[in-house]
Amino acid sequence: MTKPILAAAGIGILLAVPLVTSNPFYQHLVIMVLFWTLLGAAWNLLGGFAGQVSFGHATFLGVGAYTTMLLYLKLGWSPWLGLILGGVIGAVVALPIGLICFRLRGPYFSLATLAVAEIIRLVALNWESLTAGPTGLLITHLPALNWFGLPVNWESKLPFYYIAVALALLAMGATWFVSRSRLGAYLLAIREDMDSAEAAGIDTTRTKVIALAISAFIAGLAGGFYGLYFRYIDPDAVFSISMSVEMVFIAVVGGIATTAGPIVGAVFLVTIAELFRERFQVGHLIFYGLLMMIVIRYMPEGIWGRVRSWLPGANARS
Amino acid sequence: MTLLRVAHLTKDFGGLRAVSDLSFDLAEGELLGLIGPNGAGKTTAFNLMAGSIAPSAGTVELSGENIVGLRPHAVVRRGIARTFQIVKPFRKLAVLENVALAAFLHEPNRARAEANAARILETVNLNGKHGSLASDLTLGEQKRLEIARALATRPKLLFLDEPMGGLNPAEIDHACELVMRIRDGGVTVILIEHHMKAIMRIADRVIVLHHGVKIADAAPQEIVRHPDVIKAYLGERGV
Amino acid sequence: MATLLQTIVSGVLTGSLYAMIAVGLTIVFGVMRIINMAHGDMVMLGMFGAYWGYALWHLDPFVSALLWVPLMFVFGMGVQRLLLRKIIPSGELNTLLYTAGLSLLIANLALFFWTGDYRTINLAYALTPPRPFGIAIPVPAAIAFGIAIVVTAALYLFLSRTDTGRAIRATAQNADSAALMGVDVGRVDMITFGLGTALAGAAGVLLAPSLYLYPTVGEILVVKCFVIVVLGGLGSVPGAIAGGVLLGLVESLGAVYVSVAYKDTIGFVLFLLVLLFRPSGLFGVGRS
Repeated sequence: MTKPILAAAGIGILLAVPLVTSNPFYQHLVIMVLFWTLLGAAWNLLGGFAGQVSFGHATFLGVGAYTTMLLYLKLGWSPWLGLILGGVIGAVVALPIGLICFRLRGPYFSLATLAVAEIIRLVALNWESLTAGPTGLLITHLPALNWFGLPVNWESKLPFYYIAVALALLAMGATWFVSRSRLGAYLLAIREDMDSAEAAGIDTTRTKVIALAISAFIAGLAGGFYGLYFRYIDPDAVFSISMSVEMVFIAVVGGIATTAGPIVGAVFLVTIAELFRERFQVGHLIFYGLLMMIVIRYMPEGIWGRVRSWLPGANARS
Repeated sequence: MTLLRVAHLTKDFGGLRAVSDLSFDLAEGELLGLIGPNGAGKTTAFNLMAGSIAPSAGTVELSGENIVGLRPHAVVRRGIARTFQIVKPFRKLAVLENVALAAFLHEPNRARAEANAARILETVNLNGKHGSLASDLTLGEQKRLEIARALATRPKLLFLDEPMGGLNPAEIDHACELVMRIRDGGVTVILIEHHMKAIMRIADRVIVLHHGVKIADAAPQEIVRHPDVIKAYLGERGV
Repeated sequence: MATLLQTIVSGVLTGSLYAMIAVGLTIVFGVMRIINMAHGDMVMLGMFGAYWGYALWHLDPFVSALLWVPLMFVFGMGVQRLLLRKIIPSGELNTLLYTAGLSLLIANLALFFWTGDYRTINLAYALTPPRPFGIAIPVPAAIAFGIAIVVTAALYLFLSRTDTGRAIRATAQNADSAALMGVDVGRVDMITFGLGTALAGAAGVLLAPSLYLYPTVGEILVVKCFVIVVLGGLGSVPGAIAGGVLLGLVESLGAVYVSVAYKDTIGFVLFLLVLLFRPSGLFGVGRS
């Protein structure tokens, strides 16, 4: 009973927000929640469901962002095509990274992803002919677009809002779909015990790579969105360890291996960040760290994981 | 019909030769016991045959196909399933899910996979426990769960690694019956066991390993009288 | 030739401090099998301790070590006893995530209270480095190197000659057996973590006069520390020392002979190669 109704209500609320507030600040906040939901959902597929804790997911965000920006700025391709390609290239890059890193298990895998992310960040920083290095890439002007006959106003936040909603729904839909599929069951088995999973006939490497590819695709889409929304990227913004770590936090605090966890985590963290920014300017990361510690200690299943266990029908997934 | 042909299988761990030049054929429908003192290399032999570790030399042929070098899941797909000496269930998943995951190998549809799993759980006598977490089961139940999981992959050949370890006499009797039922159902079985009575009762044939070397390969009644076997278990003076 | 020697000397000097930091991380891993993501922030705390000692009380950093190192030891023990002890049983990954949260907490508290401005300690005697054989050896780096050697020797003696040291080594080999032999594993865990933190803090104090200090330095340090510890073999103290010096050399030589930009990359690539092909470390002494 509760799940589909909650979901429909949630979607209804999302679509109605711009009708309720035309204040760009609040619109920006909701866009940020959706953006982090995207990233949290992406990480969750690999880190939550499959138990492969990646500390380098910003790699795919950055690859997506640079793909989108470079295709538009250097080749003049449509940024919307670029957005999708950002996801695709993210997934493509994930394949060799996965093949290298999946040979390792547990914390060694995590450290390897960190190393790979740092290498890519340093390459992006130094390969100036391709990425413009620390100067970064700037979009001054987005191409005119007509949506069902109406010209889209890129100065307003609204178009970005709806794009973000679409992407977030895509990510959550993909997560939901995976969680109910054989792939999802296999991922949970891999998380539990990789040797037993192999003994059950599961091709653990192939399964992990598939999860990583989907995860990287979504993160790449998020990266492309980031570039088009903020119109400026540089290696330290999109390839940083902080970015990777914040993705982990969203998923872990919200609820590992759940569909709704990332959005709960994103709401929490963006709200805290904004409250902090208002009163203290800096320091919201203090609370991220603290919350992370509290969640791991008292609620390793995450906030949504805990809430879900109170709802009737507690054994249902999602 | 030779189902499994092992030829000159050898494994070195640094300076230690854990398995040395092991060769034997296994016919379809046989129930082979693999025994030997602790450290004899029995589990290593299983690991070699199941693909968990790579041999230093030798081949393993299943129905004529060399399976050396295949990853464990690929070996499972070819028809060899195994249990572990120290049980490894998916602890935080439900009993039914544990088996359904393996059933998925041949049946991608969840409902049908779960139905298959339920049927197998019935054959190992774990009916009432579908929803329990694997970690909540007793040791005997976990061992049966692991057998169920192995059976769900529809193996031609089943490796059981000390399925009776830690069980009480009544449970051991049930386990013997279960293993025989499995063999009668068409699955060839290799059984590592320390329980000599169980081996005597159910095995058609026994291979004895000692320090990685096969020292005997015969029917159970001859094995217990075999001088090398007695020496291996009891030492020189015991003969 | 002079450049090569200079590069090597600089590499070894830096490497010795890297080694100290890495030893701290590796003993914690060896005994408790945990990877402490907050280790770099412990170094940062040592650095800032030295800075504030100098800025507020005009304490020479090397003298202030006498104050800060014992404090860091107690702090480390507190963190292990009060925070980590409850988390470790829930698994490696949870502990990793928890220490990542702790790292964020410490680094950002520091950032909040001390701001992100780069600080430096300008010691009067550091201005003109002596040049034996034409090779510049900055005085603070030399003193740090000397102290690092003394500390390492002391640690070696502690681990090999004292009862507590032996208890630590026993627990690192096999915690269950050690417990059966009467070792208080809980106490060993606490002391080891304190020791690891103290080493990190000490390295921070020693490094303070030679670097720009800022609160988020822990992030990059902890990553380098992992590289060292993996190169040298997880859990191996001699390995960590060798790995630290090796990384110092690789970075120094890389900066001069390959490119300043990519010098950090070399370390990471080496790290990945070792993780993939020789997970027990370059010298094969590590635990996997």
